[in-house]
Amino acid sequence: MKLAYYPGCSLKGTSFEYEVSLLKVLEVLNIEIKEIPDWNCCGASAAHSINHNLSVALPARNLAIAENNGFENVLAPCAACSSRLKTANYELGSDDVLRKKITDSLDMPYNASLGVSNMLEFLLNAVGKENIKSHIKRPLNGIKVASYYGCLLVRPPKIMKFDDPENPVSMDELVSLTGATAVDYPYKTDCCGAINSLSKPDVVMALTGKVLYNIKEHGADLVVVACPLCHSNLDVRQREIERKYSERIGLPVIFITELLGLSFGLSPEELAIDGHMVNADKILQKILAASR
Amino acid sequence: MKTIINEQDRRNFVSQVETMLHDKLAKCYQCGKCSAGCPVNFEMDYTPNQIIKMTELGMQDPVLNSKTIWLCVSCNTCSTRCPKGFEVAGIMDVLREIATRKGIESKTEKEIQVFHKVFLDNVKSNGRIFELELVGKYRLKTKRLFRDMFLAPKMIEKGKLRMSGDKVSAINSIAKIFRDFE
Repeated sequence: MKLAYYPGCSLKGTSFEYEVSLLKVLEVLNIEIKEIPDWNCCGASAAHSINHNLSVALPARNLAIAENNGFENVLAPCAACSSRLKTANYELGSDDVLRKKITDSLDMPYNASLGVSNMLEFLLNAVGKENIKSHIKRPLNGIKVASYYGCLLVRPPKIMKFDDPENPVSMDELVSLTGATAVDYPYKTDCCGAINSLSKPDVVMALTGKVLYNIKEHGADLVVVACPLCHSNLDVRQREIERKYSERIGLPVIFITELLGLSFGLSPEELAIDGHMVNADKILQKILAASR
Repeated sequence: MKTIINEQDRRNFVSQVETMLHDKLAKCYQCGKCSAGCPVNFEMDYTPNQIIKMTELGMQDPVLNSKTIWLCVSCNTCSTRCPKGFEVAGIMDVLREIATRKGIESKTEKEIQVFHKVFLDNVKSNGRIFELELVGKYRLKTKRLFRDMFLAPKMIEKGKLRMSGDKVSAINSIAKIFRDFE
C-alpha cells in the first residue's frame, strides 16, 4: 500500500516536535511514507468559517495530487488537517456538482478514492497493536498518562468515523500498550478553544485551564495529545493559565508519537521532547531511571 | 428589537441558509441540548438553539450581528449530540459566510473576523501558513502588538518560531483557487 504523508503547516513550524517524533517512530516500525509533493495548507478553521468553497478546494488540491500520484491512503497527523481532509473527501464523494466545480478549478481529476487517517487511526489500523507491542523495549510502567482527544479526531462522527465521540479510548489503548497507566477523566473530548487561540485568548485559557486542572485532579504525570493545536494551547499557554488562576499545573504535554518513541527506547532528544514549553525533565528522569 | 418581519424576506433568508446548509431548520424542536453542551455558551449573546429559531423566524440582523456566530469554536459537540441530527455547527459556518459576504463587521468580535481574513491571505500568498508572518500581520491589524509577546523569546529558544516559511512552488494553482472562489 502506497502511503502519502500530509504534514500540514504546524508540523513544519510550532509543532515540529510532532513531525520529528513521528518520523523516528515510523523509522523504527519500518514504515515508509511519502510527503505529498508541493502540498498546500488545508485552510484550517479559517476557510470553513467564512468560505465553504475554499474549505473544500484547498484540501482537495492535496487529495487530488495524492490520488493522481497513485496513493491509496494519506496520513494526516494534525487533527485539524485530518478533519479538513476527511470533510472535503466526504463532500466531494457525496456531491457530484460540488466535485465538478472544484475539480474544474483545480484542473485535476479527483475520484474521492483516497482514504484519510488521523495519527491514532493510522497507528491502530495500519500499523497494528501487535506490531507496536513487538517494538517496545522500555516499558513505561508506573507512569500515569492522560489522553486528551479534543474535538476534531472524533467529531462529527458521521464524517470522522473514528472511535466513540463521547468516550474515545483509542489513545488510551496506545498508552496501555507502552506499559503506562491510562488515566480516565471526564473532560477528554472537551474543546481547548483552538480556533480562537490568538483572537480570544481569555476564552481559550478558560477552556484549556478547565481541562488541565481536571487532568491534574485525576493524578496524571503526563498528558498525551495527537493534535498540534491542542498541544499548543495545553503546553504553550500553560504558564499563563497558572498565572491567571494562581494555581500550579506543571503537566508536561507530549505527542502520542513521543510517548511511543520513549517506549521504543528512543531518547527524549531524538523525539524533540525538549522542544516543548513545559519542562518534562522530572518525568523523563523517572522513565529513564526505570529502564537502566 | 424589530419584531415585524416581512414574510418574503423571511422566506428568502431561510431558503438561503437551508440551501447553503443542506439541512432544514424545521428539524430543530428546541430541546436546547446544543446550547447545554456548548463550551463557549458563557460568552455568547444568543445560545445556539436561539440562533436556529431566530434564523427560522427571519431575524436576519440580530443573527448576522450576533457575537455567537463568531464565538462558535466549531468543536461540533452540538451537531454530535443533536437528537435530530441537525447541522448546528454547520449553521454557524453558513451564517458567518453570509455575514462576511455582506461585509458585516462585528462590533465585539472583530478580532476573530480579522484572524480568519489574515489567515486566508497568508494561504493565498504562500500556499502554506508562515506562522511568524501570520501573527505579525494579525497583531498589526488588531493593534495588539504586545499581546503574547512574552511567549516569543522562549518559543524562539525552543525552535518553535521559524524565521522563514515554505512556499508552494505551483503558487499559480493556489492563486487560481482563490480567484475562482474568493
